[in-house]
Amino acid sequence: MAEEITGEPDQQVATYVPDRRERLLNLLAALIETRAGMTREDLVNNPTLGYPAGDAAARRAFERDKATLRAMGVPLQDTMIDNETRYRVDPKEYYLPDLELTNDELAALHVAVTAIGLGSTAGEGALMKLGGIEGAGSMPIAELPFVDVLAPLFDASRRRCAVRFSYRGRERELEPWGLTSKFGNWYVVGLERGVGDMRVFRADRIEGDISPGKPKSFTVPRDFRADSYLEDRPWDYGEGRATNITIRVDAGFGVGLMQAIGPAATTTPEADGSTLVQFAAIEIGAVVNFALGFLDHVEIVSPPEARHAIIAALDAWAS
Amino acid sequence: MSRTDAPPQLERVLAMIPWLATHRGVAKSEVAGRFRISAAQLESDLGLIMMVGVPPYSPGDYINVSYDDDTVDLWLAPYFTRPLQLNAAEGLALLAGGRALLAVDGSDPDGPLGTAIHKLEDALGVSEVVVEFATPPLLAEVRAAAVAGERIAVEYWSGGRDELTRRTIDPGPPFFALGEWYTDAFCSLRGEPRMFRVDRIRSVAPTGETFAPVVRAPAASVYQPRANDPRVTLELPSHASWVGESAPCESVEDLPDGRQRVVLAVSERAWLERILLQAGPEATVVDPPDWRNLAQVAAARARARYPTPAPGAS
Repeated sequence: MAEEITGEPDQQVATYVPDRRERLLNLLAALIETRAGMTREDLVNNPTLGYPAGDAAARRAFERDKATLRAMGVPLQDTMIDNETRYRVDPKEYYLPDLELTNDELAALHVAVTAIGLGSTAGEGALMKLGGIEGAGSMPIAELPFVDVLAPLFDASRRRCAVRFSYRGRERELEPWGLTSKFGNWYVVGLERGVGDMRVFRADRIEGDISPGKPKSFTVPRDFRADSYLEDRPWDYGEGRATNITIRVDAGFGVGLMQAIGPAATTTPEADGSTLVQFAAIEIGAVVNFALGFLDHVEIVSPPEARHAIIAALDAWAS
Repeated sequence: MSRTDAPPQLERVLAMIPWLATHRGVAKSEVAGRFRISAAQLESDLGLIMMVGVPPYSPGDYINVSYDDDTVDLWLAPYFTRPLQLNAAEGLALLAGGRALLAVDGSDPDGPLGTAIHKLEDALGVSEVVVEFATPPLLAEVRAAAVAGERIAVEYWSGGRDELTRRTIDPGPPFFALGEWYTDAFCSLRGEPRMFRVDRIRSVAPTGETFAPVVRAPAASVYQPRANDPRVTLELPSHASWVGESAPCESVEDLPDGRQRVVLAVSERAWLERILLQAGPEATVVDPPDWRNLAQVAAARARARYPTPAPGAS
């Protein structure tokens, strides 16, 4: 495929056989220019497009071109008119609106695209469309690799299509209101139909592909923020009333523990260098699990039910 | 640009045509720089652009290009006047990359990156792609020392060995991967470069010494098991499947009874003890045999903090 052009273009258009790149470009130009649409016959029989001779070969080549254009994101329409399929590209759908990005803004986007590793070259492709790569970029400072379902989820969110997918072995139907990344993981947040409530799904745990429904099938409130549905701490999840928890943490482990618990906790230093930490929790089991991660450096002091729960969890190992 | 069988040149040329049309008589070197191509590739691209016309090719339907050795001038036919719309992967990459960089401490939300992202969000009609990183308390100190080339004395909690150590380090610029901030630093204790988790640095103090800041790309992978790290085989109940998802496992196998068998490279014992205590007593060490009671011993150690007998125990 794609033989290189050398030297000056051939002026004798009638005998020149265009390569596939030229054919695709000219096909696209013709589809953008036509208002009434063109049939496959119109296109493959146009000698200047240079489709191969023979119905079957021309049809195969045309089908391949169609698929290529669509995969590039070209909004290729096919409409049945008088029992014939007519093809066209609506310029309004094809053209990127002028975002009026300044050179400073383009340079800043280039820094972002090079600083944040997303495991794809899509960012650079986007910059090309926005006017080429401006400025020097940056060395990488973070990796947030995309998983395969993210781009389809983003597309569905943008077009307001509900999506179906399997998660933890169950079929879900979700209005994808937005995407968010927290602490290195990607999540999709939205209204789960059937359940009628807001849900958060970790994107890398979605099983298989997603299938989008019809566009414009929901609206997203203007003040929606995807991150507001992600809890910082596992013990904030659940139903019921919050309980005050007190734990004791050994000297040297307080900083790491406080980082995980967050600023809402209060701390009291003890004479032996340990620290008493108080915070509120709804889900006692999550507190126990958290404390187990500190091995023998953390003790749950109160309330009694939390203390009993961690004793039971530890005793379960003695058999 | 995307996963298609389109010749890469095609997508580039479609982006280049409208830019050239609004930048008449521009230097070839600038075009090559902006679109990240060689001089030879640019010649090839211009040759291709000259072949574009709308059948049946009346004179007004060609894209007009003239160029000499140094400059190129292009003016338009009535099509390809704007680039193709961003596809989903491209739009998401700009927004996610941009929002992620803004989430890094020290970025200016009102600067050019912030305004560019607002324009993109409006044009694409999407809600904000919110990106949040963990922010360890000493991240800013480590970053400042890396930029200024200041050797620092740190207290570091080694998660694997479960101990605090003191050492001086020459920190590299912090970077975020696998959910944590790391710094690739020269370590005085080991006398060699080492990867440190920034959230495990418990204190930072200046030493008054300096080093030449190294501008280097971060290591390709943060977690590289050492060849001689012991391999441990675990069997885990279904409620502990988070181990296979979050720990760097060498293999994860689903067993017929719903349990999972995972193989981990374990350089430090305390790390494995934490995983086992959180997974619960249905989790078992299959291999090596002398670690089969690792979790029991760790649980007994933790249990010693609670001198009273368990409720209901005699």
